[in-house]
Amino acid sequence: MFSIIQTTLKGVFRDRVFQGIMALAVFFLFIPSAASLSMRQVTELSITLSLSLISILLFILALFLGATTIWKDIERRYTFSVLSLPLSRTTYLVGKFFGIALFMLLTALFLGTVSILVIKFSSVLYPPSRPILWSTIIVSIFFDALKYIIIVAVAMLLATVSTSFFLPIFGAISTFLAGTITQQVYEYLQSQSAQKAVSDVVRNAAKLFYYILPNLSGFDLKVHAIYSIPLNSSGLLLTIIYFFVYTGILLAIGSILFERREMK
Amino acid sequence: MNAIEITGLSKQFTGKHMIKIDALKGLNLNIAAGEIFGFLGPNGAGKSTTIKLVMGLLRPTSGAAQIMGLDVSRPESRYNVGYLPENPAFYDYLSAEEYITFVGTQFKMDSTLLEQRTEDVLIRLDLWDARKRPMRGYSKGMIQRVGLAQALVHDPEVYILDEPMSGLDPIGRALVKDIILDLKARGKSVFFSTHITDDVEKVCDRVGVIVKGTLVAVDRVESILRSGVEGYVIHLQATEAESLPFAGIEALRRTESVSEYYVPCSGFNAFMGEVNRTGTNVVLVEMKRRDLEDFFLSLVK
Ligand SMILES: Nc1ncnc2c1ncn2[C@@H]1O[C@H](COP(=O)(O)OP(=O)(O)O)[C@@H](O)[C@H]1O
Ligand SMILES: [Mg+2]
Repeated sequence: MFSIIQTTLKGVFRDRVFQGIMALAVFFLFIPSAASLSMRQVTELSITLSLSLISILLFILALFLGATTIWKDIERRYTFSVLSLPLSRTTYLVGKFFGIALFMLLTALFLGTVSILVIKFSSVLYPPSRPILWSTIIVSIFFDALKYIIIVAVAMLLATVSTSFFLPIFGAISTFLAGTITQQVYEYLQSQSAQKAVSDVVRNAAKLFYYILPNLSGFDLKVHAIYSIPLNSSGLLLTIIYFFVYTGILLAIGSILFERREMK
Repeated sequence: MNAIEITGLSKQFTGKHMIKIDALKGLNLNIAAGEIFGFLGPNGAGKSTTIKLVMGLLRPTSGAAQIMGLDVSRPESRYNVGYLPENPAFYDYLSAEEYITFVGTQFKMDSTLLEQRTEDVLIRLDLWDARKRPMRGYSKGMIQRVGLAQALVHDPEVYILDEPMSGLDPIGRALVKDIILDLKARGKSVFFSTHITDDVEKVCDRVGVIVKGTLVAVDRVESILRSGVEGYVIHLQATEAESLPFAGIEALRRTESVSEYYVPCSGFNAFMGEVNRTGTNVVLVEMKRRDLEDFFLSLVK
């Protein structure tokens, strides 16, 4: 398992596409000057822009890595040489996932460090009205990374059955969009006005989706970071437990499907 | 214990437009420990399908297979195997050395032994100078040699090689034959597929011929070669005037002093009897036999 993780990490770091995506991180350098254009709340804007840029980069990486690693191994016929080694398909799949998840965390660490420097720089030039809660910013980046690791797991699950990378990519994008709003939809459906407006069938279908799709809203702590709102630690713990249970289920299903897959 | 046991193994693919393709039909085959077995068949005969089934890459439609007594559906069955896929491909961002090390680690090799063995196989397969370069820049022949190196590194008991000579130049082919003979001398079992009869004739103990998913013949290479003797070409010292038919057999060709006769096995004694009686000198006797290639072609047709 460890050598699969190691090999996966080497593959990512040596990949041109990844290197290209990471080059987008130079946009960080423009954040202070872009933020300063607004004249007020410069630091808050710097935080917003930094966290958004991190989200975008992690999202692209999650889609790219989650959808293409297994597909590429099959497409380039690496699976014949690797899956004929005495390792189970589950070890292979989970090893790949851990490799990518580790990489996402490392990237988040790197981008987080850069963004903290950028925010610090902005806050020195334009002191903010409220003190910055650095720990909240760090926690918010960490949870952002967890959110995109779930997207990696979704894309990999779809890749275990798909012969192209379209299903994993578009499936993961849809899951991400749906997973972001699922909480709001659920809450709306529970409300008084919805009880009258929406039929039972639709409401039950929506509920079913609510339980199947990942609920990503708990991972979004940007507002807390930007406006220095204190975090609710029991809520965070619950979110972490949710993360482990949900990715665990995705990987378990992915393993079952991949064990059955034929290498033609 | 047999190295490989295959019982009633079948594989049906569903091709385009839901057409069923019987790639392998009820194969029964045992490879004994220490045996070199050549799996001979034309393109599309089902050789790679058989091998992928044995390596657990495909699931059989029916039947089963075991390697060293372990069912191939279990990953542990592959601990005893070195496998070379057909037209192999390896993580091209790794160097040969990194890849061989990765493979050895998967076989849970001890790290000092692995280092030593990696060096051995890289030198043996003439990859030593290229070992640090990413495999992205390797030629097809080099990749094929990496494939052999990664099959050899953990020194398993059983080798399953899918067209090991393909993509290699004559030097590479000779090297592969050498390696197989070496494995044979060390009591290892080798199961390899090929569509080239010459490869089989030089190294195999036994050969199986597969055509359209069915095993049509299995025999020892020597007995095929022996049973293939059809007759003799006999050169007699006789001028054109003297070159009469002997035992009813006419000369094929005549030169000034030598006449050539083709004598089937059955007529050999009668022919030689008459030659001796007339006191004619025999210059040369050539054996005419069907080689493995003819044997193979006669089965495929
Ligand atoms: N994935 C597949 N889908 C459909 N048919 C296949 C597939 N793989 C192989 N076949 C068919 O099975 C037969 C045997 O193929 P194969 O085992 O690769 O032959 P060989 O290795 O002897 O050249 C061929 O007719 C081939 O077209
Ligand atoms: Mg083949």
